[in-house]
Amino acid sequence: MSVVLESVLEIHPQVAVRPETFGALAYHYGNRRLIFLKHPDVVTVVQSLNSYPDVQSTLSACGVAPERWPSFIAALSSLETSEVVRERQIAS
Amino acid sequence: MESPIATADTSVIEESPVAQVIGDLVADTPAIEAELLIEEISIDGMCGVY
Repeated sequence: MSVVLESVLEIHPQVAVRPETFGALAYHYGNRRLIFLKHPDVVTVVQSLNSYPDVQSTLSACGVAPERWPSFIAALSSLETSEVVRERQIAS
Repeated sequence: MESPIATADTSVIEESPVAQVIGDLVADTPAIEAELLIEEISIDGMCGVY
């Protein structure tokens, strides 16, 4: 699956995000992948995914300008491939 | 008296292949930013670190 503005995502429960001066480190305890989130805005977006209905509303709420959305979609797609984020699981 | 400080001939810069490449890079800014937003590194083989 590729991330689009309508995607409904959440941060993977096995991922820890540690704030750093450059942004944050994301570590997946399952697949042992380590990802640098190299901009504070992408950290904010990733940590806010659970709070909004979809990616577009998350980007808007986080104050990301629409001209930057393609970059964030690409970044979120990579993060989904790395399993840092995933399609939101609906609690039953 | 003529100024000892040389003035750059910007017409040469604007028409050069390098300027064209830079222009293309600027136009491609979203793709560049995408690479800057995240970076995955491999920690396989770092025995003792984890």
